[in-house]
Formats: sequence, structure tokens, C-alpha cells
Amino acid sequence: MPEHLDGDDKPSVSRRRFLGATASTAALPFMGASAARAVADPAVKPDPGALLNVSLTINGKDHRLGLDVRTTLLDALRDHVGLTGSKKGCDHGQCGACTVHVDGQRTLSCLTLAASAHGRVIETIEGLASTDGKLHPMQQAFIDNDAFQCGYCTPGQIMSAVGCVKEGHADNDDAIREYMSGNLCRCAAYPNIVAAINQAKTQMEG
Amino acid sequence: MTVAAPTPKANMGQPVPRYDGLAKVTGSALYAADFPHLDLAYAYLVSSGIAKGRVKSLDVREVRTLPGVLDILSHENMSDAVAHAKFFSDGGPVSNSVVPLSSPEIAYAGQTIAVVLANSYEAARDAAQRIVVDYDIDPASATFGSKGAIDQVLAEQSKKHEDPKVGDFASAYAAAPVKIDAAYSTPTQHHNPLELFATVCSWDGPNLTVYEPSQNVYGIKNGLAQQLGMDASRVRVISPFIGGAFGSKGALTQRTAIVAVAAKRLGRPVKLVATRRQAFTIATYRAETRHIIKLAATPDGKLQALSHEGFEVTSRPDPYAVAGTDASTRMYACPNIVSNVTIVRADRSTPGFMRAPAETPYFFALESAMDELAIALNMDPIELRRVNDTMKEPIKGLPYTSRSLMACFDEAATAFGWSKRNPRPGSMRDGDWLVGWGCATAAYPTQMAPASARVSLFPDGTARVETASHEIGTGIYTVAAQTAAEQLGLPFEKITVALGDTILPPAPVSGGSITTASVCSVIAQACAAIRGKLSNEAVGADLVEALNKRGLGAIEEYAEWVPHGAKAGAMQALYKGAAQPIGGAKLEDRMQFAFGAQFVEVRVHSQTREVRVPRMVSAFAAGRIMNTRTARSQLMGGMIWGIGSALHEQTDIDTNAARYVNTDLAEYLIPVNADVVDIEVIMVPEEDKLVNPLGIKGIGEIGIVGANAAVANAVYHATGQRIRDLPLRIDGLMPSA
Ligand code: FES
Ligand code: FES
Repeated sequence: MPEHLDGDDKPSVSRRRFLGATASTAALPFMGASAARAVADPAVKPDPGALLNVSLTINGKDHRLGLDVRTTLLDALRDHVGLTGSKKGCDHGQCGACTVHVDGQRTLSCLTLAASAHGRVIETIEGLASTDGKLHPMQQAFIDNDAFQCGYCTPGQIMSAVGCVKEGHADNDDAIREYMSGNLCRCAAYPNIVAAINQAKTQMEG
Repeated sequence: MTVAAPTPKANMGQPVPRYDGLAKVTGSALYAADFPHLDLAYAYLVSSGIAKGRVKSLDVREVRTLPGVLDILSHENMSDAVAHAKFFSDGGPVSNSVVPLSSPEIAYAGQTIAVVLANSYEAARDAAQRIVVDYDIDPASATFGSKGAIDQVLAEQSKKHEDPKVGDFASAYAAAPVKIDAAYSTPTQHHNPLELFATVCSWDGPNLTVYEPSQNVYGIKNGLAQQLGMDASRVRVISPFIGGAFGSKGALTQRTAIVAVAAKRLGRPVKLVATRRQAFTIATYRAETRHIIKLAATPDGKLQALSHEGFEVTSRPDPYAVAGTDASTRMYACPNIVSNVTIVRADRSTPGFMRAPAETPYFFALESAMDELAIALNMDPIELRRVNDTMKEPIKGLPYTSRSLMACFDEAATAFGWSKRNPRPGSMRDGDWLVGWGCATAAYPTQMAPASARVSLFPDGTARVETASHEIGTGIYTVAAQTAAEQLGLPFEKITVALGDTILPPAPVSGGSITTASVCSVIAQACAAIRGKLSNEAVGADLVEALNKRGLGAIEEYAEWVPHGAKAGAMQALYKGAAQPIGGAKLEDRMQFAFGAQFVEVRVHSQTREVRVPRMVSAFAAGRIMNTRTARSQLMGGMIWGIGSALHEQTDIDTNAARYVNTDLAEYLIPVNADVVDIEVIMVPEEDKLVNPLGIKGIGEIGIVGANAAVANAVYHATGQRIRDLPLRIDGLMPSA
């Protein structure tokens, strides 16, 4: 952080070294202590050739990927598998746009290193409709209830909404609002999202 | 029908489900960062940690050797790469006239000072974070009252602005029996659309393709060509889906040209997805404002004098101002009015449009003051508005084309149950919660801009609409298809729509609530031309039959539409991406506004002072409503923004360092699902044949306009505490010791 400049005072340190980017540590996804040390210590150079072999089952298909250790699940899906339905809204676990299911649990893919999802079963928005194109009841309910405007949060909202119902957190409107509050919608389609979940849950449970 | 699809009343279109709904629920809608590219390189920005000074040195030696790093752009190798372009208020394309990387100088915190290009996002990010920067630091002025900030009278800085005034304010104010004199403030706010600011540039020989979320693709095309010294015909901008914008993607930001130069130098497509933190400084924001309002009235509530002084922060180089006095002085009948706007130059990036740019802050002040006046008069606040309602604006005496303000108040008041309100503050308690009910006027200028479109009708009974407008979530795909379906008499399903691409006929910037009125007007005109060519009367199957009888493969009509009051050359400006919205209070012969009335219930906890908004009812009259489903959603979105804006939203500034502090979505608080309970949107039927042939006024902004004041007025009713500074947080509501 810069020195405080109080009133008329000249900066107490006129030449000072700053890290170029202000978000240096916050921008890094969670990683084990040793990995964090390796990145923080400039003497330890990552080996460019050392791509990790990561196997993921995504929407029922097996993928074998060679990935940089630092690749998040979100970036693996978007940049390496070509599934761009999952969105990046913050890359910090603060918005929910990147929500996917990992082994059936709703998960923020921006906070998950792809390597840590090795061997797991991933479901994304692209895999939610049946292969014959019939929409999942939640997708249809989002259309019927106009539960989006720009649509950017929508894949995350829908994956989260499906999780919310499966977890049994959709019993009433208050519960839905609470358990869907990790998914931001700047267009503020919230009341329509609650209505969509109410519509879909009966079909999902039925 | 669901609540989401209200039954249309008079002069309202059907609640057709969104044209792009399937694409959006399946993840197949392609936003700027979603397009596939071969051999893509990644860019990562390095942002200045200081607000003013210069880069003394950038130590990139170690970083250059990191695996995957391709190049590092900085003032050392970019100084002549991007030409200076004019700020948009001065007739140019850019949102901020400071050209990053053109010199070591730093004009605001977060300014881009270097860009790392690498083979992977991970490598680019890692390298950017390892660059060591040495700065020469100069003291920086952060905001109002900061040492070195310079006050200037807006009317002297901008030829476009004239301070509205009429009569003799000073004498009338001195003579009147009931007066209010109060100061209000609103904070810095950031749009934070959920989509990040992404740009992908790809060259094919001399031709450049840009993928970027934009509210003005022709603006990017022409502005970028100017910055790069190339022919605009060689630039194509693609932006079919935009993940929210709210004003932040309206003018050309400086990042685009940098990415274009990077792609050219590498000979590869380059993708930038700026971080959330960088989004606070590489695009625009709503600047903090201050207001002094003076009102004077007769004992029966008739306004005798009104003064609105506004103060707004802007950057050193660019005189941005929203100047909401244009609207705030014209809401009520009043014979003596004075106003002025002061801009305050500080070491900040240039602010810009944000949802109801002028009206959101200026109506917080005006409508809070009106509530204070109603209390001083011991009068119902709705009645105060009724006594001062007018069909002529008071400055020049021009007529409103239509104005249904009191119809909105009456419908919303009934739905809200206003008649049950006990006006005494603190009188409506529910257990530990103090209940308050408040209301406020909303209004937004009805503006339009020139637009062009191509409509084609085919022998199989399908039609295609093409116009380079922008789907920012407003539903323009849907209402464009509805317009063509209605005008040609075809089923909605038979219409396809192409938007967001500069190979299409130009449409104006999607901002200022102008899109539906402008774009639907030109589509209707093209459809009328098709009908005119084939047979004047026929629509639907008969029209298609007429086409088939002539043995035509297709009939295609290109239309250009210019709104009332447009200046000479406005259509040509459209093709340059520089069409200006026209209308509102800026016409010579009339006033064009949409109106609304907003009602809020707040609950303030008697001990903790936590504020909740369990209920909000608003009624709006905005001429023809094209689709009650998309319209309701958009109005509701604006209302919920208003709740967040009143209670939570503020970008905190470290005034010593002139830097933003809470630059992420965990600390910049926008409403979440649990903050929103019962929202009722009432659309009041209104017909206005003057504003444009279809009678559309536009609804994108009006939903937020009265919300801040309605919340503050309700908090006063709950607690007896008048909060004049937003946001209305717990600390401001603690009972004074
Ligand atoms: S992108 Fe993962 S939570 Fe925002
Ligand atoms: S639909 Fe735009 S962010 Fe949710």
C-alpha cells in the first residue's frame, strides 16, 4: 500500500517499491501451502514442461487434459474444453457465475483448481438438458418466469438452483432466497429466480 | 400466466417469452470472452498503485524469462502506438482521454501501466504480479474538499450546458412562509455488471476483428480506427450478447486499442479479461455528488421558489457532468427557479453514465426535499405533488407531450395501501421493528437517436431483422422480433434477429433508455416499406402471397429513422458511431418525459438499526410498452438497484491516497436474493402519439430514479431521522447520544 500523504507533507518515502499488481495474493486461487510457497518464492521457477495430466468426467464424457498446475476448473472448462457456458464474474468466489456441480455438489469452479478435481464428475450448464434437447425443468422454469435479463449469471444461477432443490433448501421462499444468495444477479432478476425455483422444484421432485 | 408475464393493458404488447431465452438457459449464448480462437495469447494488466506521479522504472528482467511470457508492453515500447482521441462529451469516442502507456505519467489510481502477454492466462497473471514498479509519487486530490481539487462552474466549461432558471428566486424565497434549505450527498458507485470487461482482438492481414461487450459497436469501430490510424472499414466489432452494462460499456475505453496493438505485434489473437478489481478503474463509474436544495411554498403547498445547486466530481482532463438540474427544475409548477452545477476536478479516472445518470443523484436530493417540505407543511406527500403537478414545464413554459405522474401516484398508492399510513414518525411499530412508509416521484427524459435497420421477407413466410443494436439484457432481440411480427402480420416464431455486429446497419448507443423507441421505430419503418412495395393493405399470409405471386426470392428494405428534434447531420453521425440522444428537456418545442411513483416500506430495527426493505410498489407510465414481461423485469431490476443504492452501494475512497478501497464483489455491496422480498411493478396505460410513431418512451432507467428518496423518506417515517447522505447505513441511524 502507498504511504499515507497527510496534509501538506511530502510523501515520507518518495521512492518506494510496490508490487505492480495490487491484488497479488488475493487473485491466486486456493492452493496447498507448498504450492503457495513455490509461487511466492521467485527463486523456484515452475517448469514450463511440467503440465499435469488431469482426468475429468464432464457432462458424461471423459476428458484427459494437460494443464498448468495453476489452472482453475473454470478456466479448464472455458479455455481447454471449450465449454464457455460457465462464466467468470469475479474469479474470487464472490459472485457464483462459475457454479458447476462436482460429484453432484454445487461448486465454485473459479475457486477450484482443475488438478484438485482430477477423477471427479463435473456437470455444467451444457450438460443439463437431455441429449434429445429437452430442457431440464429448471431451465424451462427460468424461461417461463423471465428469471434473467442479460443472462450472464444464468448458467450459475441454474446450476445453483438445481443444487438448492436437491439439497432440500427450497422448501419456502425464505429458504430459497437465503440459499441462492451466493449467486449475484446485477440485473436483479431475484423475484423471478425464486418463482422459477418454485415452479421447477415440484417437477424435479415429482 | 405467471407474475412474470403481466396481462397487457391498453397500449401494451404481449408478454412473449424472450427470443434469446433458450440460448441463455443452455449456456450457448456467446459473450465476448466465449468465442473460440486458434493460437490465442493472453493479456493481463498491471495497474498503478498510486494516483498521481510517474513510473520511474519497471523491473521486468526476471519476468521476461518466465515460461510462457511473450512480451511486456509499457510506455517504453508503446509511447506512439495509440493516438490521442477526444473525450466523448467533446465529440470524441473515448470514455477517458488519458492514453495509458503513452508516457510514464500517472493520472489516477488503477491506470494501466504495463500489459503482460503470455501463452496462457496463468503465465500472464503470474508475470504481471511479479513486475516490480518504482514510482515518483506526487500528492493526489481524491474528491470534494481535497487539497488541490479545483472547482469550476459547469456552464463555463461546457457549451452544451445552460443552467435552467426563471423568475426571481431570491425575493420569492425570502417572502414565502414555509421553507426548506438542506444539503444532500450521494456516493461514488460502480456499475459492476456481472460480465467482466473483456476484449479479444484478432487480425487478418489489415483487417481487425474485435470481440467486446459493448453498448455502442459503431462507436468502438470508428473510435478504434481513429486511435490506430486506420480506415474504419477495416474494423469489425462483434458483440451479440452483453453480460450487463448499465452505462459502463457505452463509450470506448482505452483497453481496446492496447489489445489490438498487442495482437498485431504478436501476430496472434489476444484475449484480455480484466479482473473485477481492474473493472473499478479501466471503465467509468458514477461520481459522488453533493446538492443544496432550497424550496419555498405557500401554506397550501404551492411551490413559490426552488433552487438546486449540484456539485460533481470529475477527472482532471475530462469535464464529465450529469447536470441533473435539467430535469429536477422541471418537475413541478413553480414561478421562481434557479440552479447551477459545479464540477470538481480531482486525480481520478473520468466518470461516466450509470443507470439514470443524472436523475438518480439529483432526484434523491429533490424528492427528499419535497418530503421534508410536506412534513413542514403538515401535508400528505402525495398531495404536495398533486398541488404542484403541471402539464407545462416551468422554465420555458413548454408542454409535456404526456405526463401521467398523478395517475402513477394514485395507482401505486392504492396497491400499496397508503391510506392506512399514520403520518406520525415512529408510529407504525411491529414488535422490535420500526415500520416506515415513504414515496417519491420518478421521471426520466424520453430520448431517441437516429437508427437504421434492414428487414427482409422471404417466400416461406419468414422475415429477418438486422440492426447493430445491443442486447444488454433489455430484451431488444425480443421486442425487435415483436415489432417485425406485428408490422408484417407474421407469427413471432417466423422472425429472426441479428444484432451486435458492425457488418449490420448502424444503431445508436444502447443507453439513456433510447433503444426500444429508436430501434423499433426504424424496424416499423422498414416493414412499412415492404408492405408499400408489395401491396399497401396486405399483412401476414396475404403479404407473403403477394411476394410469391411476383416470383421474388426475397424483398429487402433498408430504413433510416430520425427522431423529432434531430440536428442536421445526425444520421451521418450514426454511421460514425457518434449519434447523440435527443429529447427530454433539450427540445425547442416540447418536453418529453416518462413518469413514475415509487413506494417503499422499510423496517428499521429499534436496537440494531438494521434496515430491511420488505416491500416496494412502483407505478410507471412510459407510453407504449412493447412486452409486459421484459418491461416488468427491467423496471423491477431498476427498483432493486435503487434499494441497493440507497442502503449499501458505495465505493469507498482512501482520501489520502486517492484510491478505491473496496474493489471486489464481497466488499462492494450489491443486492443479493435475500435482500429482496416483495416487489410490485405496475404499468399504467399511457398513449403518447407525439414522441414517435409507435408511442414508446423507454423504461431502462426510470425504475431506479425515485427509489433512493423513497427509501430515505420511509426511514424518516420509521425513525424520525432524516438521512441526507447515502448510503443509509446503520452507523448513520444510531440514535444520537
Ligand atoms: S467467478 Fe467464481 S464466484 Fe465469481
Ligand atoms: S441476468 Fe444479468 S446478471 Fe443476472
